[in-house]
Amino acid sequence: MILGLLLLVVALCVALAGWAGWFVARDRAVILNQLWGAAVIEVLLLVQGVVAIVQGAGGGGASDPLLFWGYFATTLVILPVAAAWAFAERTRWSSVVLLVASLTVAFLEWRMWQIWMGA
Amino acid sequence: MTEPTEPTGKTAARRTGRGFGRVLVTVYGILAFAALGRSSYELVVKFGEAPVAYTLSTLAAAVYVVATFALAIGTPAWRVTAWITVGIEAVGVVTIGALSLADPGVFGESTVWSGFGQGYGYVPLVLPFVGLWWLWRTSRSTSEERTA
Repeated sequence: MILGLLLLVVALCVALAGWAGWFVARDRAVILNQLWGAAVIEVLLLVQGVVAIVQGAGGGGASDPLLFWGYFATTLVILPVAAAWAFAERTRWSSVVLLVASLTVAFLEWRMWQIWMGA
Repeated sequence: MTEPTEPTGKTAARRTGRGFGRVLVTVYGILAFAALGRSSYELVVKFGEAPVAYTLSTLAAAVYVVATFALAIGTPAWRVTAWITVGIEAVGVVTIGALSLADPGVFGESTVWSGFGQGYGYVPLVLPFVGLWWLWRTSRSTSEERTA
């Protein structure tokens, strides 16, 4: 994993969470631009995956690959599910879901870093 | 006489997977995924080290998965399933949490429910009670609308 990329993902997650939180406060449902934001994070997550594979192939992989890729799979699933809910639920609750989802991805990134470093 | 209701509150049969229920299902889903990932990892990699703890984790994971689906679908039949599974979680996290505090070595290793779900930010402790509240609340407003 590259620390800079990870910090970028976390920063974007926090920003998206803040945006969603603002929408919760204003009683609004998720809008498409927020989902584009989630899509950007999702692409960066995939880039992280490719980087991790390359690093792993070079012998510098995660200390516990199974655990690491388990977390990786989880981070990939969360935002698409939140996006699906956003289409189905056109109330402020979709914003709460996006808020929770973004913060969870940020938290999982931190855990992935810990696992990568062997903590 | 009207009570303040949520935007979805006026539909004839209140589904547990709508409105606030979506948030509940999301958090349940994440926890189910986390518990399932954890327990399959433990079963595959180190089951022999603490069979009791890892069997408990697997059980907890299964209950979370069923609860997530039951809450998401939310039809009357699934509502019963939701009551049972969410109830098991409430009892489980309190019981296992108390036992793990009384004797930290009782299960050999930590589980999802150890220390009242400490390893998961106490979400496993709070969630079942929020779930029970939500089930109670949605069932109550359904009957109110029937009698109204």
